[in-house]
Amino acid sequence: MAFLFGRNRQRTAQDMVRTVKELLLRLPKEEGASSKTEEELSRNLTQMKATLQGTPEVEVAPDAVTQLVHHILAESLLPILVDNIHRLPFEARKDTQTIISNVFRFRNPGSTSPEPDALKEVLRQQPEIIIALCNGYDRRESAGACGGILKEALKWDAVAAVILYDEPSPTGKTIDIYNDVDVTAPSTGKGIFWSFFTWIDTSSFEVSADAFDCFRLLLTKHKQLVSQYISTNFPLFFDKYNSILIKSDSYVTKRQSLKLLGEVLLDRQFYEVMTRYVDSGENLKLIMYQLKDDRRMVQYEAFHVFKIFAANPNKSFEVQKFLVMNKQRLLKFLPRFLEERTEDEQFCDEKAWLVKAVGGLPDSVAALRPPEGRVGGGGSGGGGMPAQQQQASSAQVRS
Amino acid sequence: MAEDYQMLEELGSGSFGTVYRALCKRTGETVAIKHIDLEGSDDDIREIQQEISLLSTCSSEYVTRYRNSFVRGTKLWIVMEYLGGGSCLDLLKPGPMAEAYIAIIMRELLLGLDYLHSTGKIHRDIKAANILLSETGQVKIADFGVAAQLTNIKSQRLTFVGTPFWMAPEVIQEAGYDFHADIWSLGITAMEMAMGEPPRSDVHPMKVLFLIPKEKPPRLEGGKWSKEFKDFVALCLNKDAERRPSARALLKHGFVRRAGKTDILQHLVRKARDYESGGSRRDSDVRYYEETLREMSSADEGDEWIFDTIRPSSAKGTVKKLASAQHTVKRRKLERIPSGDGSDVEGAAAALEDMKLDAGPLGDIANSSNTTPTKDLSTIRTPKPRLSSQRKVSALTIRKISISSPTARRVSRKVSGGTPTARKISAQQPKQPLGLDMSFGNGTSTVRQFKRVSSGHQQPQQQPQLKPSSPPQQTAASTSPQDSVFDSDSENKPPAPPTSAPSQQTQTTKEALLGRRCFVKCIDPSFAEGQAATADRQKREALSRVAEAWSYLDEVDPEGELILLKTIMDRIQSDPKLASALLPQRVAAAQLASLRMNSPSKKRTSTMGVEAGEVGARDMTPPTSPSKPARRQPTDRSSILSSAPSSPTKPSGSPGKLVMNPQNPHLRRMRSNQQLAAEKAVEEREKERTVMEEKMPGRVEPGMEHVGMLGDVLYGRWSEGLQARWPKA
Repeated sequence: MAFLFGRNRQRTAQDMVRTVKELLLRLPKEEGASSKTEEELSRNLTQMKATLQGTPEVEVAPDAVTQLVHHILAESLLPILVDNIHRLPFEARKDTQTIISNVFRFRNPGSTSPEPDALKEVLRQQPEIIIALCNGYDRRESAGACGGILKEALKWDAVAAVILYDEPSPTGKTIDIYNDVDVTAPSTGKGIFWSFFTWIDTSSFEVSADAFDCFRLLLTKHKQLVSQYISTNFPLFFDKYNSILIKSDSYVTKRQSLKLLGEVLLDRQFYEVMTRYVDSGENLKLIMYQLKDDRRMVQYEAFHVFKIFAANPNKSFEVQKFLVMNKQRLLKFLPRFLEERTEDEQFCDEKAWLVKAVGGLPDSVAALRPPEGRVGGGGSGGGGMPAQQQQASSAQVRS
Repeated sequence: MAEDYQMLEELGSGSFGTVYRALCKRTGETVAIKHIDLEGSDDDIREIQQEISLLSTCSSEYVTRYRNSFVRGTKLWIVMEYLGGGSCLDLLKPGPMAEAYIAIIMRELLLGLDYLHSTGKIHRDIKAANILLSETGQVKIADFGVAAQLTNIKSQRLTFVGTPFWMAPEVIQEAGYDFHADIWSLGITAMEMAMGEPPRSDVHPMKVLFLIPKEKPPRLEGGKWSKEFKDFVALCLNKDAERRPSARALLKHGFVRRAGKTDILQHLVRKARDYESGGSRRDSDVRYYEETLREMSSADEGDEWIFDTIRPSSAKGTVKKLASAQHTVKRRKLERIPSGDGSDVEGAAAALEDMKLDAGPLGDIANSSNTTPTKDLSTIRTPKPRLSSQRKVSALTIRKISISSPTARRVSRKVSGGTPTARKISAQQPKQPLGLDMSFGNGTSTVRQFKRVSSGHQQPQQQPQLKPSSPPQQTAASTSPQDSVFDSDSENKPPAPPTSAPSQQTQTTKEALLGRRCFVKCIDPSFAEGQAATADRQKREALSRVAEAWSYLDEVDPEGELILLKTIMDRIQSDPKLASALLPQRVAAAQLASLRMNSPSKKRTSTMGVEAGEVGARDMTPPTSPSKPARRQPTDRSSILSSAPSSPTKPSGSPGKLVMNPQNPHLRRMRSNQQLAAEKAVEEREKERTVMEEKMPGRVEPGMEHVGMLGDVLYGRWSEGLQARWPKA
């Protein structure tokens, strides 16, 4: 009996996957009146979801899950599913999200690899699924589901690496992150990672906010990977970050990206990025303009970036120059800056410290001497500062 | 996006924001739009995003449908379907519901919960207030502010959220909970609808949190309810979450299986509506959406950062730039002055006089500030532009109120949102000079009403401007024409009472003005309060006779009134025992005020000082109508009077605090005038204090008016400290 039962279920799992695949392939061809296909598809997807995660009444059968995952991978169902997700009916999209997330979570019993087995398999065989999921942000219909899958999958470094090191290739093949990644090669700026700037900038609020959330996760969950990546692509990254995110017309994007910037720069793992960032006078300028934004929370988030410039004990000539030129203005401006924040002790302390620090600057630019070999200011990416010297500054900032 | 909707009236507001009814221009469909000001909190925008993403993944006829969301300025607009029937809580207003209705609502709710639970969502805040009805009787679950999306159907939650009376024991105990928590809340909601209130509603919410896990679950009792209803509630309110049935299982329960169609609920909706309109609150309470104009503040433009360097020794260039920048400031200010005095019509006589006296000083200060551009301007001159624009803030607030805000509530909301209000000031300012008085010709009761509130609320804004500011600002501010104009104007705004009308012409001297002011601000309210506080009939009568006599004195000889008051005050003060008993804090406070008043411009005579103090005092106390109306509504007035200046954070104060409240800045100022002479000696010692004062909290810049409240509190503390330092003065 048990034997029969098992075979029966096996056949069912395979059938289910094949049926779904067929229906999905039929879907794009039937524009409009494809309600019957949609219905059937929805039913099958719901069934698949129930098999993978159970229902409140029925527990999952590990055996059935293993079978189903196996067949989903064997039939390469996932890429087709992701490609068609925006065509699915409302509930089926959410089921699809659940199905893919569950597959990505799947582990063989006793498995010890960092990533779940099924996900690893996917990344080896079909890494383009990750790219396709990112492209889900192109449409409002698919953004939620794809974003949801991505954000969960971004727990894993490997997924982040696929997104970061994706480059368009003549063969159309997505990079194999387990084999051919050269972290020192600069990005062309055409990979999927850079599309996030566009999605954040141009999408509707819902999509933009979701894309930003994903972007933030990417930057903050994989610090080592990302700091290496940003260091390699420093000018490109900050060019986009400044011009698209910080200068964004959207209040939400501006505020969130300033906040993220502050968080990233103050993270120990991003130390090198931070020193290069605060060397640039252009960056300082931009942040100082944000201090004068007419929206309080933008000012507030900008403050947390600005303080890093001021706290740096080895300021570049350009940064010093800008600070000194505006010394009187800053001394006038800072004491009254966000005065209502009296409850925020840390902020008040930092502000008081900042006033002192700015007060300690020389009064005129004439007193500044461009350091050897750095005449003309730090430019947008000095970066060559001895790391030990800088340690003190970052510690100070963090404390 | 926002242009696609025609905003209509307000439906409700709360901590989350304000909900309006609106029309979708494209489809003609009515929608509800929730406005959330993202500037309003430090909270991560992600939390709000969470709610949206949860809503956007719901598609059920039992859940309020989400349409769209977008950001406009700093506000997030969330477009939802409009449900015209109101919430179940609204439906409870006429009284508890009949069981038949409850059964229908329960069935619909179970269908909604089944949908939510099957898609991995826990609502976590099921209660009557969060259940909305359409006009046709459809029932929908609303408000996903604390709802949770589970990634895995079996996972549990630990977060402590919800509303205490409705919370399941396992949620309170934070031992992990799942969908069953919503079923408990549903059971409580059923009881709420049957009885009008949730069980244990008489207990403090915090105490309820202890009772729910500890005591037996509540039960529906009495012969009023069917056995099935009682059983249904008992099933929901099982303290063991595991044994609580799921939504799907409960749908099979006899109580809901026998429930009727949702159309029947239309009766309830109609009943509630009749009840509402019976209370005749509807019409007067309707608030319409009003676009908040947001214009860039140009006040700072002269202060822009400087980054272009041509020469390494750019100090010179900086100076030049700065000078020109200051020039702009000056020009703008000059533009403003006419607009300021233009805004006054009613108090013209008094205003003109004040202007004549003080236009000079203002001009001087303004000019000098503009000619000395660099470093040293920090102490004296920098605050100047700020002050002027700030005064504008308050003026404009009033203007806005009078023109466009239909109710008191709206006013308070507008005013309290300090930053946005301030933000639009500077650019808008010069355009509408005469707007201020337009609406007061009608003299309707509504106007008076919101007028009162507005002045109360507005107070905290004005206050810091005068009180904790440094001496030069102080004098400049209190004597500048706009200020007095604005002030006397606002005082005259409420329909002039008959008593003051005939004597208007006699109010030409300063002393007369002062005297009248004393009466309006101190004497009259004191009598009114005394009257209210006196129970004995004989004593009341005596008191009222004195009041009458005094009001006659005020009518006939306000100058004499002032002198009389002054003499009384002086005598009280010269008697140490009386002084310490009656004015202990005022002594210190007065000293403080005088110190502020005396310092740098020493050539100011004491009369000038008095006047400065007086005008200041006028600013401190909210403008209210003189005598008669006040006597008619003593409590109203006194609460405003006492609360507004002394504790602006708490808008309602007890009437008892009115006169004796030592923090009453008006009294403080009165004292200070009396003491001017006595304190010449202390002056020298205190001069250095003024430097300190420069650093005091409460200095306000445009857009930061709400700091005023805090500044006020800090100022109070500081003055207490001073009192300890100089116990006698």
